[in-house]
Amino acid sequence: MGCIGYCREEPLVNIHLPGKPLIILHRVTEKDAEEIVRAVAAGEVPRKLSLCRINDWDPLVGEKLLFGEGFQDVPAYAEIPYFAPQRKVVLRDAGLINPEDIDEYIAVGGYSALYKALTRMSPDDVIEEVKASGLRGRGGAGFPTGLKWGFTKKEKSSTKYIICNADEGDPGAYMNRNEMESDPHMILEGMLIGAYAIGAREGVLYIRAEYPLAIQRLEKAIGQARDYGLLGENIFGADFSFTLTIAEGAGAFVCGEETALIASIEGETGRPRPRPPFPAQKGLWGMPTNINNVETWTNIPVIINRGGAWFSKIGGERNSGTKVFSLVGEVDRVGLAEVPLSTPIRTMVYDIGNGGIEGKAIKAVQTGGPSGGCIPASLFDTPMDYEHLTAVGSIMGSGGVVVMDAGTSMVDTARFFIGFTNEESCGKCVPCREGLKHMLMILDKTLAGKATETDMQTLEELSGVIKNASLCGLGQTAPNPVLSTLRYFRDEYNTLLKKARK
Amino acid sequence: MTIQITINGNPCSSEAGESVLTIARREGVEIPAFCHDETLAPYGACRMCLVDVVSGPKKGVTTACTLQAMDGLEIITDTPEILRLRKVLLELYLAQAPKSKTIKALAAQHGIKKTRFAKKVHPEDPLQGQCILCGLCVRVCRDIMGAGAISYIGRGQFTEINTPFYEENDACLGCGACAQVCPTQAIAFEDITGTRVMKSWSETKVPLKQCAACGNYFAPVPFTAYAYEKLDPAIRDEIRDLCPDCRRKEMTRKAILLRAEGVGR
Repeated sequence: MGCIGYCREEPLVNIHLPGKPLIILHRVTEKDAEEIVRAVAAGEVPRKLSLCRINDWDPLVGEKLLFGEGFQDVPAYAEIPYFAPQRKVVLRDAGLINPEDIDEYIAVGGYSALYKALTRMSPDDVIEEVKASGLRGRGGAGFPTGLKWGFTKKEKSSTKYIICNADEGDPGAYMNRNEMESDPHMILEGMLIGAYAIGAREGVLYIRAEYPLAIQRLEKAIGQARDYGLLGENIFGADFSFTLTIAEGAGAFVCGEETALIASIEGETGRPRPRPPFPAQKGLWGMPTNINNVETWTNIPVIINRGGAWFSKIGGERNSGTKVFSLVGEVDRVGLAEVPLSTPIRTMVYDIGNGGIEGKAIKAVQTGGPSGGCIPASLFDTPMDYEHLTAVGSIMGSGGVVVMDAGTSMVDTARFFIGFTNEESCGKCVPCREGLKHMLMILDKTLAGKATETDMQTLEELSGVIKNASLCGLGQTAPNPVLSTLRYFRDEYNTLLKKARK
Repeated sequence: MTIQITINGNPCSSEAGESVLTIARREGVEIPAFCHDETLAPYGACRMCLVDVVSGPKKGVTTACTLQAMDGLEIITDTPEILRLRKVLLELYLAQAPKSKTIKALAAQHGIKKTRFAKKVHPEDPLQGQCILCGLCVRVCRDIMGAGAISYIGRGQFTEINTPFYEENDACLGCGACAQVCPTQAIAFEDITGTRVMKSWSETKVPLKQCAACGNYFAPVPFTAYAYEKLDPAIRDEIRDLCPDCRRKEMTRKAILLRAEGVGR
């Protein structure tokens, strides 16, 4: 099965009795098996294991699912504080359909957006709809998707490619993983629609090898789509043919960067290439190529079926739609939470996450993966969107939210992330390769209580150089954890320095 | 299409799409760069050629080598910000390749005598503590010579350049193009009676060709085979297996003979 994203309450079990609401059981153990079977045999559900009931569900692209009535004493889905502030667009089917069965996807309206696009829309119509939705790249950079598609479309070439970037590698981030494992067909459908709009006949799904279940499910989904004629020649009888292959990553974080990803598919070392030429002009095998993140593709079927105008009403200004965040760290309710963009950090940490574990005070959150910044609790009214997170010294990234409570050392946190990016630097350009190494040395010196104020100045200056002089996004954002902690938690660095003066 | 760009306030004509580094150098504007060579595609690794775009589609700091000229583009090559970035980069290079005279000289030109960063220790480094990983050798070997005898090993701060598995590699032509393009003269090779030893590349040994006339060794065998294949057959026949000296003598002799014939007639 797929997953509805409430990790703290795992393992979850779905029970659907005919005519009754869908019941989600939580924290189920082996010992509960007998009780569950007995209850179901009697047309009941075990009350003390029941988390919530779902009477009906809107899968957005198809007709509303009506499960049934009854079990009024079990709390409704919308009453659960973890779910209440959420809005499921990307995870519209996650945990509710069998991801390994194409028929279940079709039953909730799957592939109807593709049908609509191929039979009633021109490629330009599709691009206009995506532009109207205001959808921006969910890999983290936030570039308008419709505009990006337009660049590849206007290139004159008989061969064009589209790529799905599923090389999710941020520590603590697993949004894409759940999207692939819970609903693989929505990615295929999004890619098919994109390929039609751009004029590509071939696509590649680049998935990190560390996600074996996602690979297995996508392989299965591709096989099923091929059997149903949804991949191959003249799809839905239209003058459109498309094939899709899977390429596995080899464990390098930097291959999430689009030009390094292309190099990796081509069999080269995963090292970023300078842009221009942009992939839209010269991408995979030198051909015009459009790359989007998994989550970007998942939004496409909804945009086509519900319309760009509908989509653009979700979220904040210039930040339309929802975003799936992985809420992890020292937070009470960990899990995957999907909220409209521009939702305040406070809602995520306190309403959804219920604050610190056992009521501990929260000190900061780190957003956007290893190269995001740490945002102090005093700024938790900041809306979580591309511009606002950047303004406070962090980034949107792919949607990781790491919560830190009062017991966390911010210097140690910064050191952890620099350690990560230093290890994952490809080594091509000098600021990232050499600079991060020296940043790490200074941070180690600081944690050992041996650093001086001069070292702090060097650390800050070096951070600025790496940010401004690096070749790719990895280096350009890598110093964020240090810059943001120096900005908001300078006293923690100073405390460590004072020891050195004794 | 000829267009106009402005470098440090001076208008320059160029072709659209030309690298700004190429244009600047043609105009006599000095921009340092380690990883650039006109025969190779822009690479953007050394970050020394940073310039400031003051008027163009994307303003701000970027590398001149990867920046394509377009009408109305205006750049400045020596803003205080650019010089500051370059100085820190040079400090990083000084720490990475402490033995390189090239780096030391350029750093000194920028007023940098020593680096704040811990110097890298290079025990038994085949590249003599002078490699800055600009990748010119790797690219010239693969993209120009078509040999691909060397490549990167490892990643990040542990990146090195050498032959696969640090073993002798018979893909090496022995041409020495790698040493020729190296900006820090880090690559060493030596000709020892009949054999070229690529000291930096895992002691790869390449046999040298003997001149058919004088018997001196003059070029690596695989390299002459590579070169002969590219030559016009007529020229190839003329060169035969002669060293440059004997070839010159041969040509001179032929020319004299031709003239003598002309006089005779």
